[in-house]
Amino acid sequence: MISFEQVSFSYPQAQKPLLEQVNLEIPEGSFCLVVGASGSGKSTLLRCINGLVPHFSGGRLSGNIRVDGLDPVRESPQVMSRHVGFVFQDPEAQFVVNQVEDEIAFALEHAAIPQQEMRIRVEEVLGLLDLGELRERELHTLSGGQQQRVAIAAALALRPNILVLDEPTSQLDPQSADDVLQALVRLNADLGITIVLAEHRIERVLPFIDHLIAVQVDPITGKRSVIEGEPRELLQQIELVPPLIALGKALAWQPLPLSIKEGLRHSRPLARQLSQLQPPQPLKHSDVPVIKLHKLNSGYGQHTVFEDLDLELWAGEITVLLGRNGVGKSTLLRTIVGLQPIRKGAVEIMGRSTRGKSVAEICQQVGYLPQDPNALLFSDTVRDELLISLANHKITGPAALERADVLLHKLGLVELAEAYPRDLSVGERQRVALAAISVSEPQAFLLDEPTRGLDYVAKERLAELLHTWRSEGKTLLIVTHDVEFAASIADRIVLLGSDGITADGPASEVLGASPLFAPQIARLFPQTGWLTSQQALQHLLAKS
Amino acid sequence: MTRLVQSSLSIAIYLLASLIGVVAFLYPFFLPVLPAATMNSAHSNDAPLVLSIVVVLCFIALLVEIQGQQLSAKSVALLGVLVAINSLLRFIEVAVPGPGGFSPIFCLIILVGYIYGGRFGFMMGTLTLFVSALITGGVGPWLPYQMFSAGWAGMSAPLCRPLVRLLRAEGKQAELWLLMLFGFLWGMLYGIIMNLWFWPFVSGPADQYWQYGISLWAGIQRYLAFYLATSLLWDIAAACGNALLIAVVGLPTLRALRRFQARFHFHYEPLV
Amino acid sequence: MKLHPLAWVAWLLSTLVALSVTRNPLYLLIVLLCIAIVGNLSPKSQTRYKLPTALFVLLLVTSCCFNALTVHYGNSVLFRLPEWIPVVGGVITLEAALYGLLNGCVLIGFLLAFQVIMQVLTSQELVGLLPPAFYPIAVVVTIALGFVPTTIQQIGKIRDAQAIRGHRLQGWRDWLPLWMPLLIGGLERAFQLAEAMVARGFASNDRPKQIIGDQIALVCGMLLLLAGWFVRLVWGLGGVGIGAMLLGALLIGLTLWRIGKRSPRSHYRTRRWHLNDSIVLLASLLFAGLLLAPLDLLDRRSLYYYPYPELSLPEFQTWLGLCFLCLLTPIVVSLLNNPKEIGS
Repeated sequence: MISFEQVSFSYPQAQKPLLEQVNLEIPEGSFCLVVGASGSGKSTLLRCINGLVPHFSGGRLSGNIRVDGLDPVRESPQVMSRHVGFVFQDPEAQFVVNQVEDEIAFALEHAAIPQQEMRIRVEEVLGLLDLGELRERELHTLSGGQQQRVAIAAALALRPNILVLDEPTSQLDPQSADDVLQALVRLNADLGITIVLAEHRIERVLPFIDHLIAVQVDPITGKRSVIEGEPRELLQQIELVPPLIALGKALAWQPLPLSIKEGLRHSRPLARQLSQLQPPQPLKHSDVPVIKLHKLNSGYGQHTVFEDLDLELWAGEITVLLGRNGVGKSTLLRTIVGLQPIRKGAVEIMGRSTRGKSVAEICQQVGYLPQDPNALLFSDTVRDELLISLANHKITGPAALERADVLLHKLGLVELAEAYPRDLSVGERQRVALAAISVSEPQAFLLDEPTRGLDYVAKERLAELLHTWRSEGKTLLIVTHDVEFAASIADRIVLLGSDGITADGPASEVLGASPLFAPQIARLFPQTGWLTSQQALQHLLAKS
Repeated sequence: MTRLVQSSLSIAIYLLASLIGVVAFLYPFFLPVLPAATMNSAHSNDAPLVLSIVVVLCFIALLVEIQGQQLSAKSVALLGVLVAINSLLRFIEVAVPGPGGFSPIFCLIILVGYIYGGRFGFMMGTLTLFVSALITGGVGPWLPYQMFSAGWAGMSAPLCRPLVRLLRAEGKQAELWLLMLFGFLWGMLYGIIMNLWFWPFVSGPADQYWQYGISLWAGIQRYLAFYLATSLLWDIAAACGNALLIAVVGLPTLRALRRFQARFHFHYEPLV
Repeated sequence: MKLHPLAWVAWLLSTLVALSVTRNPLYLLIVLLCIAIVGNLSPKSQTRYKLPTALFVLLLVTSCCFNALTVHYGNSVLFRLPEWIPVVGGVITLEAALYGLLNGCVLIGFLLAFQVIMQVLTSQELVGLLPPAFYPIAVVVTIALGFVPTTIQQIGKIRDAQAIRGHRLQGWRDWLPLWMPLLIGGLERAFQLAEAMVARGFASNDRPKQIIGDQIALVCGMLLLLAGWFVRLVWGLGGVGIGAMLLGALLIGLTLWRIGKRSPRSHYRTRRWHLNDSIVLLASLLFAGLLLAPLDLLDRRSLYYYPYPELSLPEFQTWLGLCFLCLLTPIVVSLLNNPKEIGS
């Protein structure tokens, strides 16, 4: 159905080829997952399927590609659009029209499908993706998950039998991501549409797939290789995997469990032997909290987001704030730094109220990383980016240069100092943004969804950085949906519900007890207080 | 051969449209010197209207030529996004009572035309005015004239290129000064052109002067009086605003546009 | 029931024709009243801002003063300015002031007529009026209109992001940290959008050149327009001029049609053409033709009110005045159809 034979490709002006002699065979009607680090060439591989590479990107391509009996290189993306639907990472960036129905009809209008037929098809895909109630809505008023479903509907309107998706859920929260994935599973199971999906958060997808492709980059030579096969077999060869798989591989569970349900079959017998609980270590605190929220109220217009919120954050502690969508996690961070006005109550930083201070003043003491770090970056080089922040804080001249160099070194950005920030990967860009907000050496950091769009490697580097900061005595408050990441870094977890803080305590206690936010390992071994595969392995191997 | 014919036809269309534009803008001055016989006939009152229709039709013809048979997705998307951003700048003009007559849209029209070429600049100018009129509720009889003039501004921007090349000033301060001067000139010119549109309606039909025996020079004098009284100050503010804006955002904007030009430029040519 | 956008365009054109052919204050008054009635009673499609009344007053005053000060003609002298002042020096007459006022009324009529159109038609409907030949441009406009709200959200994000790195708005240069992320983000967005459009069947490369036949037709059309206008104005050959201009317009229109035919598109939303639309179209065309046609079918002298040299009362021909009421057809047809909808 989709086959690659000795396919090599290099971008225009690139020194080395990105893909070299790739051979692939994706069977018809399969649900295929493509994994690999960012920058590994995953996206390029997907774009070969509908001819965007090389027709849109330019560059040199050799080898043979067959998709649905056609050669996408000889045909154009225009022809391929009838056979392959393509959905991109950022839902907002792929819309032409600002209304759901018209957006779906756009490709049909362009292809001059008669109106009667067009109406039928629009109805059809609205039904398939459960968008009937949203048909009249304007796209920018929809949530990310709804937008992504509209994008899928728009791609399906031309009735392709292959659907290719390039990290469609990386910008979404888990709930929306689940909606999108469920829709894909339905399309694959009910209509037999072949699905080729690239993803970072593979733990949610693994139970549904029947074909796996991994793009791997050799860390020393930088050479890329593409391997494919049956998921359980191939996962044995892949290094960076979700905790469940890592544990399964380390303990040689056979067959390798892909879901918690399968994993429990192996873990239950083990868990029975583990009766003793380790008491969580109590958190030690200094005298004055670095950030103190006192009876804080905030909201937009008529709508109150939270009321009478009390919270104290201490030095040398990583606190992770978890909660469902819309309970006001981001609003809380924005209120602390003054981007959102305080309605009642007070925010105290180092014992002094922030009332009357500007955002810029507050941010000298509290570094805040917004969800979209792109909005921060606009200079020609990474170094300039830091110098501008320094100049904002009235530090210029040789002192500024020196300070910028120290920061670059600390954040591991020395090699990228002269690079154009917008050309960097998501993880690197985030690091530059972190550098830009930390030039004033704040005592505390607030990070909003820092793992969005990051691959496993980038997440590990971020965790390292956060640990360094903690050891320097900084206060860290992190909002995230990524429970596995939270499990790996948090000292303390705060759960925010619609009527305030519902739980607050050591990570192992709160996460282990929460049915909604428990990480995979906590689900496999409840009541042990283990959160990560390393912890579990340590104890299990020590025991045996 | 065909290419030669095609380009000469293109040039003919550009020239004709410009000629008709110039005639349309300048004709009120010539009206009084035309023979009396035609003045008293029934056509004098509707002359501005008929001319408006002629201008609109020529504008359409020019737009057909510039748009070409089809635009690529890259051009369409780039234009759409840049036009949206630029149209929003127009809100500043409407909402903020800044320096009178200053419109922040010309900076980007000129810079985009300068980097991406006259064809792109023309559409950028034209469509910015169109879209901003739609979103600010500014659709009116002036719209075709505004679109035409802003299009001209964008289309003429590449004329700075040979000068810049001559001065070897690419990316340097001299390039910026040249563009600032260009922005200043267009600030003045745009004001004058828009006044000329307004002129026949304010000055009324020509017959009131015919009897009075007004000459070509008197007509121009009259226009100058009108211009001095109503818009010279505004236009100077607009021109200075353009220059200042280009001075502030010019170089980084040029760098960004150049950087992305490389990205947008690739074509795939199959290996044979 | 709403009228078809094309019917509204026909109404607009006939209103503009009516406004520009007459300076008779009585007829002008009828036109202005008609516009006001249509504007107030037609169902609004969306709220847009209204032109401020101050603008109208300003227009009237400017236009009146300007004409009075620069046209020194007429018998009813109000006062005299010293002759040595250029342009404005001389007699200031009541006739010139009145004529200026009439000019101002015509301008206000123009503005009001366009405002009505902006009120009854949505932006999408206005874009839909672009002929198929301008499909790429229509897509550009659609993208731009859709992108506006996203850009506004983006501006908010950028302002916050810059504030947290210590940015303050103090001088001109401080706009740069807000402008550049907006521009660069937009360019990146454009790239992604282009890719998404290609994936959905949009062409990935320009096909730049025109077909020679089209170009020749365009050149001829423009030449005919120019020549016709010239002939009509300079030699007063109304019939020949109009004929040449019509031919030119036809050539350009035909070329548009041919280009549109070459790359066919379909429309998801099309509005059906109803009897009401035909009535409005017909009434508008007939009315405009009556005022413009270079035939002396009817006595139209009273249109050309002329206050010089001595102020006189304008003539009024009842049947011609009644013809101006054609401008009310959009309201009349709605009223006949469904009286309840009016003004909603």
